[in-house]
Amino acid sequence: MNHRHDGSSIDLERELVRYMVERRVSRRQLLEMMGAIGVTAALAPVVAACTSAGGTSPSPSAAAPTAAPSSAAPTATPEPTPLPSPEGELLIYNYAEYMDPEIIKQFETEHGVKVTETYFDSYDVMYPRILAGNSGFDLTFMTDTDVPGVVQQGLIEELDLSLIPNVKNLAAEWVDPEYDPGHKHSMPYMWWTTGLAYDTAKIKEDLTSLKALWDPRYNQHIMMLDDQREAFAAALIRLGKDVNTVDDADLDAALVLLKEQRPLVRVYSGDPIGTFKSGSIWVGQDWSGDIWTVQETRPSVKYVLPEEGGVRGSDAAVIPQGAPHPIAATLFINHLLDAQVSAKNTNTVYYMGPNAAAKEFINPDLLADPAVNPDKAVLDKLQELLDPGADLEKFAKRWTELRAGG
Amino acid sequence: MRDRLGGALALPGLGWLALFFLVPLGFILIVSLGDHDRFGRVLLDSPSLDNYRSALDPVFLRPALNGLRYAAATTILCLVIGYPIAYWISRYGGKQKTILLLLVMLPFWTSYLIRTYAWITILGDNGVINSVLLAIGVTDEPIVLLNTDLAVVLGMTYGFLPFAILPLFVSIDRLDDSLVAAARDLYASGRSAFRHVTLPLTMPGVVAASILTFIPAIGDYVTPDLLGGAQTTTIAKIIQNQFLGARDWPAGAALGFLLMAATVIGSLAVIRTLRREVLG
Repeated sequence: MNHRHDGSSIDLERELVRYMVERRVSRRQLLEMMGAIGVTAALAPVVAACTSAGGTSPSPSAAAPTAAPSSAAPTATPEPTPLPSPEGELLIYNYAEYMDPEIIKQFETEHGVKVTETYFDSYDVMYPRILAGNSGFDLTFMTDTDVPGVVQQGLIEELDLSLIPNVKNLAAEWVDPEYDPGHKHSMPYMWWTTGLAYDTAKIKEDLTSLKALWDPRYNQHIMMLDDQREAFAAALIRLGKDVNTVDDADLDAALVLLKEQRPLVRVYSGDPIGTFKSGSIWVGQDWSGDIWTVQETRPSVKYVLPEEGGVRGSDAAVIPQGAPHPIAATLFINHLLDAQVSAKNTNTVYYMGPNAAAKEFINPDLLADPAVNPDKAVLDKLQELLDPGADLEKFAKRWTELRAGG
Repeated sequence: MRDRLGGALALPGLGWLALFFLVPLGFILIVSLGDHDRFGRVLLDSPSLDNYRSALDPVFLRPALNGLRYAAATTILCLVIGYPIAYWISRYGGKQKTILLLLVMLPFWTSYLIRTYAWITILGDNGVINSVLLAIGVTDEPIVLLNTDLAVVLGMTYGFLPFAILPLFVSIDRLDDSLVAAARDLYASGRSAFRHVTLPLTMPGVVAASILTFIPAIGDYVTPDLLGGAQTTTIAKIIQNQFLGARDWPAGAALGFLLMAATVIGSLAVIRTLRREVLG
């Protein structure tokens, strides 16, 4: 018993006793009441969660998981053969804001499939999960250069191209990608470049060179990507080297350059859009598709590909091995290749797709923007970041040294 | 009979600890002894202590010290700010004691991430502080507050302050004020009474508050990640990088284990010393 002299706890006790005496509530009954209230309070959120999760679904789901698809007639593509029924569900694992939610809803209504999109905030979180096998996801997006290695390990399913007639919409350069001949295991999704983004309101001159990222005039207003390959690529390109070199001397030279830069760098950002929007960065490395999103908040930001060169890449849709709903996933890939769906997606996430037929529906400003849609001559000068295999360690070790401040 | 009942009651708690703490810890230990392939998968065919050897590389010293610095600064600040608050609530809170404590806990009910993002809004170049400074003309360029050591320590202190205030409050509240009255009667000044009576007697609370602040602070990688910048890399961030960017789970696991061991040993040593010195 607390014998405090400030009056607080004694008041509470007195009130409780008064309550019990007035209502003729015994101590036992009081405890029972409190227990009942406590249990209800504890279980209420659990019950609420259970009923809401089971009850609300974002789309009209099929009555039974094995029911035949409702409308077997999708929008613009006539199938030569009848489609097999997709499973009732589809689980997608994707970057956040990398797919227009409306095209997902469209697929749900057309095929009577319930689609759930789960986000990962870092590629390096998704990659080992898929590699471990039986990830539980049906569809995910891998960097194109990672595809050959994963195929070799048998970790992604071969695509049933008979279910993807929209493949005819692919632009010529995507029909037979180097990393996946005949796109047997993957389908190109979106492609991008890595270049320089800068705020024209803060930097009055036109920036054309990677040297801007090393310019002491922008001290504490420079951003680099929190990505060891991209950061090293910037340094290697400045040194005129191949971004995929695993030569120790080259990598050491790049490390020296990056260490020179480090005191000027404000942040190595894992969220370039957010960082740019916050206003503390005047110039930074960024991906092409991010720029229109940044411009929604800061229209003075501009994107250029540096004269020394840059990086390009693409993401490909893959079906992980052991996917529980492979047919739905394949049909979704086909859906993504539909001309209007692909165009809508591009118009929303601001990344270009590989779809030639979609061009007529894409926002002409996007098509005309040399940042988002550079022409072939420019693209050919850019390099792709290839999978270094076991040599990843060479980058990782130096990146740790750079970040650790040594 | 009573002992057996006590043991049985502890069983669910121990079971929980075993399942959700010891088992994952065991997994990490096993992973730390392995190697990784080019895809980042863990290989356990030839277990060795190589990862521990490479974890002792001097390159990890600076970020480890960084993490230590932030945790120490945060703990000291939390104690310095938290003790007066706890003291005031205990001595002068009166009937509002519970409500005041509730107000201390209130920020806890918001997501930690949202509270940290709020600091970005306050400290950013376009944020509240800089807008005010620019408006009143103190400076014409925004001061770099975000992405610095200061921002990290501020964010961490703010986040962990309730952790410090509560144990301090419990300890101070339990103090029998007749002891302080006795000291005053024996011609001790207010300050002297505090130093020789109150402070030593509330030391258990100070120790508890320090531990409750220091240990989570040293493992916090979210706050330095969001509020920190290129110069504020902590060992926690390096460990995260081992798992993600380097795809080297065994190395990350070994580093994590060493960090855990260092923290536990350090904390035990501090507790033991304090117990001996202060409590006699």
